[in-house]
Amino acid sequence: MTFAARPAIQPWRRANKKRIWQIVAASVLPAILTGALVLLTGIDPALATVVVFLPSQLVLASLVGFSAYGRRGLGDAALVVLTIFLSAFVMVLLLSVLYSVLTEGAKAISWQFFSQNNVYVSGTTSLDYGGVGHAIIGSLLVVGITTIVAVPLGISMAIYLTQSQSKIKNLVRTVTQALSGLPSVVSGLFILSIITSGDFLTKSGFAASLALIPLMLPTVARVAEEALKLVPADLRYAALALGAPNYRAFFQVILPAAKSGLITALLLGLARVIGETAPLILTLNTNNGTSLNPFEGAMATLPTYIYSYLSSSFAPSQQRAWGAALVLLIVVAVLFGLARVLGRSKSLKTKPTNKKASK
Amino acid sequence: MSESSVTKPAPVRRKLSAGPLSTGDKWFFRTTSIAASFAFVLVALVLIFLSLKALPALQNQGIDFIFGNVWDAGDDNNLIMQIGPMLWGSLLIALIGVLIATPMAISMAYLIVFMLNSRLAKVATTLVDLLAALPSVIIGLWGFYVFTPVADQWASILNKYLGWIPIFQVENPEYGFRGSPFIAGWIVAVMIVPIITSITREIFSQLDKDLINGALALGGSRLSVFRKVILPTASGGVVGGVLLGLGRAIGETVAIFYVLQISFDINLGQVLETRGGAVASWILARFGEATANEQSGLMAAGLVLFIITLIINSIANVIVNRAQPWRKD
Amino acid sequence: MSSLSTASTLSSEDISVWFGERQVLSDVNLTFPANKVTALIGPSGCGKSTFLRTLNRMHELIPSAGLSGSVFLDGEDIYGEDFDAVTVRIKIGMVFQKPNPFPTMSIKDNILSGLRLSGRKIGNAEELVETSLRRASIWNEVKDRLNDQAISLSGGQQQRLCIARSLAMDPEVLLMDEPCSALDPGSTRRIEETIKELSSSMTIVIVTHNMQQAQRVSDQTAFFLADDNTPGGVVEFGATEQIFNGPIDQRTNDYVNGHFG
Repeated sequence: MTFAARPAIQPWRRANKKRIWQIVAASVLPAILTGALVLLTGIDPALATVVVFLPSQLVLASLVGFSAYGRRGLGDAALVVLTIFLSAFVMVLLLSVLYSVLTEGAKAISWQFFSQNNVYVSGTTSLDYGGVGHAIIGSLLVVGITTIVAVPLGISMAIYLTQSQSKIKNLVRTVTQALSGLPSVVSGLFILSIITSGDFLTKSGFAASLALIPLMLPTVARVAEEALKLVPADLRYAALALGAPNYRAFFQVILPAAKSGLITALLLGLARVIGETAPLILTLNTNNGTSLNPFEGAMATLPTYIYSYLSSSFAPSQQRAWGAALVLLIVVAVLFGLARVLGRSKSLKTKPTNKKASK
Repeated sequence: MSESSVTKPAPVRRKLSAGPLSTGDKWFFRTTSIAASFAFVLVALVLIFLSLKALPALQNQGIDFIFGNVWDAGDDNNLIMQIGPMLWGSLLIALIGVLIATPMAISMAYLIVFMLNSRLAKVATTLVDLLAALPSVIIGLWGFYVFTPVADQWASILNKYLGWIPIFQVENPEYGFRGSPFIAGWIVAVMIVPIITSITREIFSQLDKDLINGALALGGSRLSVFRKVILPTASGGVVGGVLLGLGRAIGETVAIFYVLQISFDINLGQVLETRGGAVASWILARFGEATANEQSGLMAAGLVLFIITLIINSIANVIVNRAQPWRKD
Repeated sequence: MSSLSTASTLSSEDISVWFGERQVLSDVNLTFPANKVTALIGPSGCGKSTFLRTLNRMHELIPSAGLSGSVFLDGEDIYGEDFDAVTVRIKIGMVFQKPNPFPTMSIKDNILSGLRLSGRKIGNAEELVETSLRRASIWNEVKDRLNDQAISLSGGQQQRLCIARSLAMDPEVLLMDEPCSALDPGSTRRIEETIKELSSSMTIVIVTHNMQQAQRVSDQTAFFLADDNTPGGVVEFGATEQIFNGPIDQRTNDYVNGHFG
């Protein structure tokens, strides 16, 4: 059969002119009303949005829906308006966080901010001097030690959960999930209690690293487990059928297949702990100078830097806090972005099969 | 074939085991088992060490530790340490946070999965997941400088027009509302919204499409399909996500530390009153100058916090697991 | 027993279907007379199920969907201005390939779910539940456990429950998309008998891969075919007897005699 290429149309979208005007009116009129009210009476715009704009749009939209489809049109219109409103509200709040960090932090950022430390800096010193260099190094050292311990441990746990036949697997998984609920301050208290129990551990970068391990471990284990589960079982069976022992099947077949997912596990675990503050406050004294020894002495880290400058009454110090926050944000965003990119190349998140695309 | 009059013996089950196939394998399994036990070890260690350190304080204070409302660290030999108001504050603030965050999170998840086209949905998903990774200290910074003035206004409006409702009553409205559970609750809500949204979105998108198509084929409208099919089927996982957010909110320290005005009275429910506190923030506030004896009390507070989050997490797991049959795994 | 609505004639006129830029069906013209069962047969991927979904306006749920042509229910275009999708779906019901009872609801609530979802009033609930389950030939098996969870039923029972659920809406037309392909032969047989009984009160269109099934249940049959990279379409359409025993087109002959597909 021959066919002539024709443009597809969507008859269900064929809009009723009257209805379009109704929808436009229902969206625009409340906005005009609210704007007028704000201008005339000087009501706070946020308040006006909630008290005037939302209800009037709800009512008008419901009327439009009702006139088109009756009772269900009313319900649907109300649902749509409320959903959009609530979602927009959430996004405004969340984006406000990003926005303020970006704009306030940018004022402090400079090459010198990245590289210098605060040894000669006081509360009122101008932003031309000092920086977060020492905090960045400190963060890297502390988190680095945590990673060296937590990542192999977490991946091993994931291997156990996916490869072994043990009956207590579910118990292990449950305990790991329970561990993920550990409040960060409690983890800090835990290490602090070890510190105060004797002389083998002092407040140091190392102690801080230890406090971060219980926080990084569950994340790494969970993401790694998902990555390993994504590897088709057939690959393992093929290796075993060829006569390989389990560990060779794992290292030579499964591990390479899950590589990007495991790297994602590392990155997400890193992103999780690099911003943790409370455990660090409890186990590590901060320092204005650069320290390269995590095993004794004080050391600055990005989160504690922010924490200490946060409540200063001096404007330059406050701006330092914002600047450090921006640096921290960039680090987290980069880690997260890398994890995303890697995840997409190996489809870490199982997308549901689109059953609507039928034969 | 002739029928025998002797019944065949019951088949003997042979023992099949997918065990180690070589010495290399034995070490492989051994190592991973040891690693797996680390989760137990860690939880046990935390509980043990904290309990050891907390014991003196707990023995000293007795059950009043949890329910009393005095904290007097003046005399080191005669400490009175009771976390009642702080514990209540943690719960109150977490509850406010969850009440605010959950409707917003469900809306956002519904929008992403059922309303946005796939490109916008991907952008929104990435944005939400990124925000879930935001460190709480950044939210604390924003909360202190940017949000508190705004929330202060909201609180004063609430007090002005709805102040007749008991929970919105305040003794001295002219002093402002900074430090109230209301504002702290909002900040906690901002913290946990991305987490709940992420989980809910994942659950919504994994719902069996056939169910939704079936409901639509029966003549369901957007609202009726949402209320009668989507929500009930997803409820297990959503509740689990909310509980997870609750656990996070109870343990939240830094985000609200500077926002709270920690005072040692139980704030029963007047959310706009600038009284009350939270356990985690209290620990942070006191430990700097705490003597060993007071530290013991703080350890005990941390222990209580951990046990509470353990319980909440376990409940969350049970609920999610019971909802398992409907989840496409 | 309350009176049921009369069956209607459904017909498609020049239906062509697109997914995005790709045209998958071309100029399908079929008529489904009232009280008759029509089978749609053909190899996988030639657009039978896609076509079925244009008949109750489920096709438009796919973001990239496109369509031209009309579908007439008793002479009125269901894509016209007088109809909206929900009204269409109330009149034209659908049973899916995989049984999809609502897992959070009991058997009884599943039957009533269509009315609740579409916001219609339920008259006598017990009577409606019994009538629907009887018409789907499953009443005797579940009459003592109406409050049990729907997912506690076997696959074949679940599918008959889904049929009953659609019947509770009192549709004029019932569309069935390979309703037995996920079921065992016993359940298949029972559902085929149900289909024949139902045709006395409604029009039925059934997509099936099973040619024996098409011969058993249908009055007329349409044979769909799609060559590589060309849109699918109807090769031949006529009385079932004729399609299977004396097809006009050679391709139909090849298919029904198992030479391909």
